[in-house]
Formats: sequence, structure tokens, C-alpha cells
Amino acid sequence: MRRSMVFVLMIIGFSFLLLNGCQKGQEETNLQVLHVAAPASPITLNPLFARDAGSLEAAALLHPQLLGTNPDTLEVEPRLFASFELQADNLTYLFRLQEGLLWSDGTPLTADDVAFTLLLISHGDYTGWLYPLLRFVDGAEEYRNKRLSPYAQGEISGIRVIDEHTIAIRLKQLHAPFLSYLTFPPLPAHKLQNVKVAEMEGHPSLRNVLVGAGPYLLAAWKPDEYLHVRANPDYHLGKPKIAEIYYRFIPNIEAQVIELLAGKLDLLPTAVKVEDVEMLAADRQISIHKNERLVYDYIAINQKEEGSPLKDKRVRQALAMLLDKDELVTNLLLGNAEVLHGPLLPLHFAFDREFSQEKGSLPAARQLLLQAGHPQFQLKLIFNSGNIIRENVALLFKEQAAQVGIDVQIHALEWEAFLAALTNGDYDLAILGRSADADPDLSFHWHSQGAGNRTGYANEKVDRLLEEGVAVLDKERRSELYRQIQELIVADAPIIWLYTRQAIHAASADLQGFAAHPESLFYNVHLWSLAGREDGL
Amino acid sequence: MIRLLLNRLWQTAIVLFGVSVITFIIMHSAPGHPLQANPELRLDPTAVERWLELRELDEPLPAQYIGWLSRMFRGDFGKSLIYNRPVPELALERLPATLLLTVPAFLLALGLAISCGTWAALRQGGFVDRLLGLATLAGLSLPSFWLGIILMMLFSYGYPWLPASGMRTAENSSVSDILAHLVLPVTMLVAGSFSYYVRYVRYTVLAVLSQDFIRIARARGFTELYIVFRHVLPNASLPIVTVAALSLPQLFTGALVAEYVFSWPGIGRWIVTSTLARDYPVIMAVNLSAAALVAFSNFLADLLFLLIDPRLRFKA
Repeated sequence: MRRSMVFVLMIIGFSFLLLNGCQKGQEETNLQVLHVAAPASPITLNPLFARDAGSLEAAALLHPQLLGTNPDTLEVEPRLFASFELQADNLTYLFRLQEGLLWSDGTPLTADDVAFTLLLISHGDYTGWLYPLLRFVDGAEEYRNKRLSPYAQGEISGIRVIDEHTIAIRLKQLHAPFLSYLTFPPLPAHKLQNVKVAEMEGHPSLRNVLVGAGPYLLAAWKPDEYLHVRANPDYHLGKPKIAEIYYRFIPNIEAQVIELLAGKLDLLPTAVKVEDVEMLAADRQISIHKNERLVYDYIAINQKEEGSPLKDKRVRQALAMLLDKDELVTNLLLGNAEVLHGPLLPLHFAFDREFSQEKGSLPAARQLLLQAGHPQFQLKLIFNSGNIIRENVALLFKEQAAQVGIDVQIHALEWEAFLAALTNGDYDLAILGRSADADPDLSFHWHSQGAGNRTGYANEKVDRLLEEGVAVLDKERRSELYRQIQELIVADAPIIWLYTRQAIHAASADLQGFAAHPESLFYNVHLWSLAGREDGL
Repeated sequence: MIRLLLNRLWQTAIVLFGVSVITFIIMHSAPGHPLQANPELRLDPTAVERWLELRELDEPLPAQYIGWLSRMFRGDFGKSLIYNRPVPELALERLPATLLLTVPAFLLALGLAISCGTWAALRQGGFVDRLLGLATLAGLSLPSFWLGIILMMLFSYGYPWLPASGMRTAENSSVSDILAHLVLPVTMLVAGSFSYYVRYVRYTVLAVLSQDFIRIARARGFTELYIVFRHVLPNASLPIVTVAALSLPQLFTGALVAEYVFSWPGIGRWIVTSTLARDYPVIMAVNLSAAALVAFSNFLADLLFLLIDPRLRFKA
């Protein structure tokens, strides 16, 4: 009995010790320190080689953009480039850097850094994702194919450094979306010019961002734990108001919510579950922010299989009639999405709010199937396991399809297996998401030669109009062209458009100035502040 | 003794070779490819080609395996395809966090199990025994992630005493801060493994207690404490050592569920994400090390047997 008393006392003593520890944590939150949750740890902080969303978000804290886009209109805005103008030849852009730009080690950030970055991206050993954007630059392709040196050296005929602050980029032909591609950051030439391009992907100076020019500077990166950054006093848009940010990697979404409710996190970005919104909004300490994004969910239709009923346009049109998209948005996404009828998104300047598909009915769908001579058949529908919303879409689709005589077999696949099935064409229907460009140019997914054209969609007229769309600058005209293209694509029923989901963020009510960008969480992060918390510096 | 050691080494080498071949085959026959992860990234086909070429992934599989094997013999575990850093470096970065979680949980679970199991066996059918029976049944049948989330709801949200995620608040965290972060995940781990060990201990102790020499010891009038420590525990320890030694590899491979639920920056999560991302060198290195650890633990158990039981020493 006495022994158990000792035990109980020990436990009480231990708890006091712990409570003491927790209180310390609480005091820290009084400073201008922001705690942001992330679902995954970044893999690299090198923005030119990042291949995952987590790395790109984290890199945005540490690197400045050459150009930005407006969060509402997606129009190109000045960033490091203070101005940009197209010369009379309609091919050459003249970019002027802001005055007095500095890397965090005090070295000036100049046009040479920009030129070095462009050389690096165009280099034959560069294995990141940015090259396809630069192949419109005159001479970039030749430079890539020649691969004269293992370093990012040499010259690209279309790129000319005029002076410390000015650089000219000449394109092979007029390409309207080009400016919207220049949203990546420059890398410090003085630190990297002696590193082979092939070795740059894993290079320590990029992993640890020893030299930066972004809104924040790296203080510590604890893999799988957190990224700790401090305000950069020399940031070209002004010193950030929040002194420090902890970007904490918390894969467990429930834990994120609990930590937010307990006041230990200030921001759960982007992926708050729709079913949690109401509960979180009820808390006076928490505010919910939403914004539109450049992503959408759709059902891909595999038309490559010989003899598949899906080769018949009428069958695809019938499939597109099965789901009531309004119902999906209202009941499944609780209104946090917008129904989509075509490839243009509400954020695109060419978007047409009037455009909609005829709302089909089950009898009409059945009629189309009969006309096509496919009264009854089987389809294999795949999606990535663990995505509850898509799983529900799949189940609803199966249910509806059964009523018109289609037997849908649902397969939930692990992510890599899902991707492999997509690549190998081992599916009839697949529910997945896709991101669109800031520019309404639809070539990537819909041009017959587009790198992102997985379904094998080919329409000569669409190809021609897409080529015309990037070759004019006039917005009105482009808008017209893209609306026309949208009509043509939708008439072919190549995929089933579902909805575009909003990003839902839950933030501490103290967080002021937070307004996420469709493409970047930390947009204008230097303007964020924590009201009612003392300045930590 | 030395022959036993050499024999063991030889067998281990064969097992490891087999494991590496099988892992290699399974890994490459699984669908997917490390650069496939994000279909929306606009990777140029030439960039993908060059990426594979730079990492020697464009060679035929047997050549890749032989390349891997020869690098292994030179002590080179390869570079992660995802992180572009040497695999041991990545593993060592995460190992301390893992050990910080698993070692206390293991020691606590084992210590508690030995004391509670012995107690329950000595008072078979008593209140403690029955209570323990119920508790271990619950511990074994409740899914650990559920228990973790309940603990979190209770002690991080309902009574916000303990943090719900992570290992520390910041780089310069105090010891008490780290301890506070440890409580919930360790509790969750202990609940599971304690229930497993305690049943084992109780059963083994009961078996020893029913033996004649215990009855004789009691008849000779030794105190209960003396009998337990001098006769019961040493005799019951062989099977317990086996079970404990077999759980040693898990200390290093991490506690995936606890790491996920409590966002612990350990090695288990890294292993799983690497596997899902088809990070071939990591998968190979991890599987091989895990196999080596299992072999080593078995060997350790054998050595401990010799140490504990003089009869075996004599035979060897």
C-alpha cells in the first residue's frame, strides 16, 4: 500500500515537471512567431529542382520571385523585376531589376544571377521541371542539346545581360503566356557557378539555402520536424512583420486541428477538411479563409483501347450525364467548390460564367447508349485510395451507371500503383485532379502534342486555335479563342469535368493580412502580422 | 564458441544475400517509378531520361543489382533518389528521434511487464491478476492508432496539458519540453507491447512456479522474495529474453503508427514514404539493415542464453 502511494506521488511530481514544460511553450507564442502546419516535410529547399508541393511552398518562404501574379486576376506583377516591356519586334522582353537588391551574404543580386539561372535551367543536365517553360527562348534548345560544359556556363543567343540591372530575353516566336512563366526565383551565381549542373540537385548549399534573398532566411531545418525561418531585414518588398515562422510537418490532420484549437498552431493551410469547417468556424479564436485555386477534379476516359465502347463520342457524352455535379458540390464538398463544365477555370480571364453543359438525365443517357449500340458493358474505374471525396464520387458514379446498364468495377489503388495504371492505360475511367496554368493557354493538356495530354486527345481544329491563342497578345481576342476552344473540346467529351475545389485555411484570429494566392500559400508573407502579440525583436 | 560464431556469420551472410536479391526483385516489379510521383509536374522527357541516366537507372536490372552489390562491398549504400543524399546520412538524421521514442517505451513496457506479470503469477486468480487480464486484453485488442487519437483528444484537447504532435517546440527546447512531447506516444507504445510481454511473463513464471524445485525451496523455508529472485526469475528469463531480443530490431525500424499519429520525426515514417515513393536505394539499405538486425538480435539472444544458463554454456 505504502509503495503504491510513493508511485502515485511520483506520477504527480512528474506531471508537474511536464506542466512546467508546457507553460514555457505558451509564453513563446506571445512573440511574433507564427506556427504553420504542413502535411509533409519538404524534400529540398531548392526551388528549381523541387518536385513536390511541400518543397515548393517551403521554398517560397526563402526565395523571391522574378515576377509574380495577381491573386485575383492572375495578371503578371513586378517582383524582383521592377519593370518588363516588350520591344517593337514583339519578340524581345526587356527586364529591369529593382535597385539595391542583395543576397543575404551582402553580395548584390544582379542580372548576372538571372542569366546564370536561365542557363542552369536550359542546361542539358538540368533535370528539374522548369525547362519546358524556357524552350520558347531563342537558342535555349540548341544550348540544351549541345551541352558544351558540365557547368551552367556559355551563352544562349536569346539572353543578353545589358547592365547590372537589365536583361533582355528574346523569344523564338511570340508567346503570350511567357511572362507568367517567370515566377521562379534566381539562384546566387557567386555560390553555384562552380558546381556541376548534374550535381546541383543534391548540393548542400541549395539544400540548406546558405544564401537567400526571399522574405525569410533559413534558421534551421529539422527533417520531418519543422522548418524554422527568420525575417530577412533586406527583403526587397520590406522587412516581414512576423519575426519568425515555424513550418511544422504534421502528417496527422486530426493532430493539426487539435493543435490549432489548443493554440499551438496559427495556421492550417489549404487542406482543412470540409467537414471540419463548421466546427472550426464556431471557435471565436479561429477564422476560416477560402480561396479559389487553379486545380480541378475530373474523370479521365481512356480512349486508347481498341474496340472499347469509350471510343464512341455518344458513350462518353452519356457518361458525362450520369453525375449530378451540383449535388456533388453541395453534399460531398459542402459547397466548398464550384461545378466545372470545361477546361477553363473561374480564375482565368477567358472563363465564361454562362458556359454550361446541358444537364442530362438518366433516360437521355440511356438513349445515347442505345444509339451507340452499347446497351450493356463493363468499365474499370480507378482512383487513389485514401481520398474519401473521390471514393464517394466513384460510388455515386457506379450507382448511377448501373441504372443505365453499365457495370462499373471500382478499384482503389495505392498512389504509385495508381500512377502506373494511368501511365500504362490500365483503366477505363480514372478519378483524379489536375492543375492548370495561370495563363488560360490550354496547350499542355489539350494540344495533340502537349506533354500533359495523357488521354491521347487530338483535334486538329483545337490544335490550330491553341497555336493561334499563344501568338496574339490582345486579351479580348485570346479570350474569344479560348472560349471557342473550350466549346470544341467539351463537344468531344474527352473527360468528365467535375468541380474545382477551394483551398480552405483555418487560421488563428490573430493572424492579419493573410490572403493566400491560388498558386502560393506564402503570398505577400511579409505583410502578415499577428495582432495582439508583442513584437519579438 | 568461435565455431558457433563463425557458423552464425556464414549463415547470416547467406540470409542477407537472399534478402537483398528478393527485395531487389520485388521492388522493381512493383508498379511505379521514383520520378513518376507528380504527374502534374511538367517534366521534359529529355530531363527524365537524363535523370535516370545520371543515376544509372537506365541499365538492365541485373547490371543495376551487380552495381549496387559492388558499391555495398565498398561500404557505399547509395544515394536516395528523392533526397539526393547518402542513405546512411538520412537514416542517422532520424535514428536519434526514433531511439528516443522506442527505447524508453521498450524498457518501460518490459520492466512493467516483468514486475506486473510476476506479481500476477504469484497471486494467480487474485484481484491484480484479473485486472491485468482485462487490461491486457484491452491493450491487445484496441487498435493503437485509435488509442493514440483518444489520448490526444483527452490530454491535448480536453485537458490541454500535453502537446499533440512533434518532438519539441523549437531547437533550444528544454528537457522537460521534450519529455512532455514523449508522454503520449510512449504511453501508446507501452500499452501495446506491455500487454504482449506481460502475458508471456505471467505464463512463463506460472510454469516455473509449478516445478518441483520451487516446492522444495518453499519447503526449505526460503522467503518468497528469495525464491522469486533466486529461482523463479532466472529460470523464467530464457523465453522472456527471446521475446525481448526479437523485438530489438523494431527499436531501430521505428514505430510507424505512433510516429504518424504524433507526427514524430522518426525513421519509420521515412521508411514508409520512401517505399511509397519507390526510393530504391533506401528500400534496399533499410531492408538489408533490418535483416542484419534480426540476425544480430537472434545471435544476441543466443549469447544471453549462454550467459544466463550455465547448462547451455557447458554444452557449447
